[in-house]
Amino acid sequence: MDYQTRAATNKVLVYVFLIIAGLFIVFPVFVVVSQSFMHSNEIIRWPPILVPNAPTIENYVHLFGRPDLMLPRWLFNSLFVSTTVTLLTLGLAAPAAYAFARLRFPGRQPLFFLFLATITIPVQVTQIPNYLLMHDLKFLDKYPALILPSVASVFGVFLLRQFFMSIPKELEEAAILDGATYWGLFLRIIVPLSTSSLTALGIFVFLANWNDLFWPLLVTNHLDMRTLPVGLTVLNSDYGALDRGLVLAGATFASIPVLIVYVIFQRNIIKGIAMTGMGGQ
Amino acid sequence: MSQTSVVVTPTPKQATPDPQTSVRAPSIRWSSMRRREAIAGYLFILPFLIFFGIFVARAIVTGVFMSFFDWPILPPVHTFRGLGNYNELFNDSLWWLSLKNTLIFAVTTVGGSTLLALGSAMAIHHLMRGKSFFRALLYAPAVLSVGVVGIAWGWLMDGEFGTINYVLHLLGIPKIAFLGDASIVLSSISLVTIWWTFGFPMLVFLAGIQNIPEQLYEAAYIDGANGRQAFRFITLPLLRPTILFVMVTSVISHFQVFGQSYILTGGGPGHASYTVIIYLYNFALRNYRLGYGSAIAVSLAVVLIAITFVQFRVLGRRERD
Repeated sequence: MDYQTRAATNKVLVYVFLIIAGLFIVFPVFVVVSQSFMHSNEIIRWPPILVPNAPTIENYVHLFGRPDLMLPRWLFNSLFVSTTVTLLTLGLAAPAAYAFARLRFPGRQPLFFLFLATITIPVQVTQIPNYLLMHDLKFLDKYPALILPSVASVFGVFLLRQFFMSIPKELEEAAILDGATYWGLFLRIIVPLSTSSLTALGIFVFLANWNDLFWPLLVTNHLDMRTLPVGLTVLNSDYGALDRGLVLAGATFASIPVLIVYVIFQRNIIKGIAMTGMGGQ
Repeated sequence: MSQTSVVVTPTPKQATPDPQTSVRAPSIRWSSMRRREAIAGYLFILPFLIFFGIFVARAIVTGVFMSFFDWPILPPVHTFRGLGNYNELFNDSLWWLSLKNTLIFAVTTVGGSTLLALGSAMAIHHLMRGKSFFRALLYAPAVLSVGVVGIAWGWLMDGEFGTINYVLHLLGIPKIAFLGDASIVLSSISLVTIWWTFGFPMLVFLAGIQNIPEQLYEAAYIDGANGRQAFRFITLPLLRPTILFVMVTSVISHFQVFGQSYILTGGGPGHASYTVIIYLYNFALRNYRLGYGSAIAVSLAVVLIAITFVQFRVLGRRERD
């Protein structure tokens, strides 16, 4: 094969591969959304129908009508908790990372090694004692239990520290010369320069918290305090067999806001995620 | 000898014996500067340290401590059991089954995910147009809630009415119970997880590939190499550290799987898809046996550290060749 045909074949192969991959991605979402607009007896049938003949929104009406399903509340809980966790994590990790990057204080080295050591330990070891603590503090089934144990992120400190160390010191030295305090230096110089890595860490933390099923399942009991993954699990286990359309409608409803945000911000999100991945280099 | 020269040099070799990576102003009274810096340092880390101290450090110590006790919530009486929890754990065949299942799952998922991610990254890199579209598309499932993923694929893989079985039916293949057949259920959950998460390693590989200088490829092509050889002798070796990093972190994270398996099968059929965290949840947390649960968590920690160690030795050694 000469170069021309080989180049052309490669191009075709690449497109074919990507189109197949794309269909692989889209197909499940399409089926869920499409069938959520079908009456249950249209859904449970063989051979299955993928596009509704008589589209209906009855599943959604049922979804919001039932007292034992609180999808909007669960969506709100997840949004509120994940956002708060993200903001707090950044707020705690950034100053700490700056201290490790630039400020000298006795005990910095040993403390750093301590943090490093804890990163090797999986989170499950901490979850049971933290659950107990939440129980003793009477935080169970309330927002603090969902939020507080998740905000100390050693990974975040490491990531930001890497980034802060790469900022040229001359900027900071000049500011000190002008009489700036360390806090002012941090707020007015370092932070504005670090928006990309702060955003990256923020997105990473947000998504990790958004998708957590284990911890919210553990610390919440009441229906109105559950987060989205827990609520959807309940929806699926309670109604999966009875009313498939209802479950599919719930899944669709839960995905729409997130997908909209993703479509709008995907450039930033993707840049951020790639950066956290390369953070280990 | 002017004092202002201190400002320009990053590491002043002068009377101030302080050659570290810190920022300081020129001043004769360096001890009070140092003190100011140290105080600032402590204040900056204090909020983080408080939360770390309570929810990480204290928790780890308590977790290990609790694993040697019987620790129900009510009544609040804790009986010392020594290694009793661990004994019980290691004599439970379901624990070993869970470990085995989780290991199989993690390896399968990481293997498939890494291949798909690498292929996709290469493909996207070679696109002329539509790069960012496909990049965004293939990463998209990652932003979906695990609950949505479970519901969607649980339905798609339904043994009787699932759409995948419909496609098989059109191809003349008999129905498969993806989630109901003990011999393939782990692979099914693996497939779902790959669909959900392969976008992340894909992005990392893509960034890595884009960092490889074009000249290397140009030189190779001039010397007559074809695409496959370029991949084997340029792309792959240069990407190796990245691939290694991705695989190690992926194994650890997939080993802790909970959401998808809990929603899709709950550990079944029978115990065919019982994973370590499902075991932890069912046997320790549902029954409020927190001491036993801590023993499970500590054992998991040991397993993960061992796996990381093994991975680095097996995969990392080739680095030196």
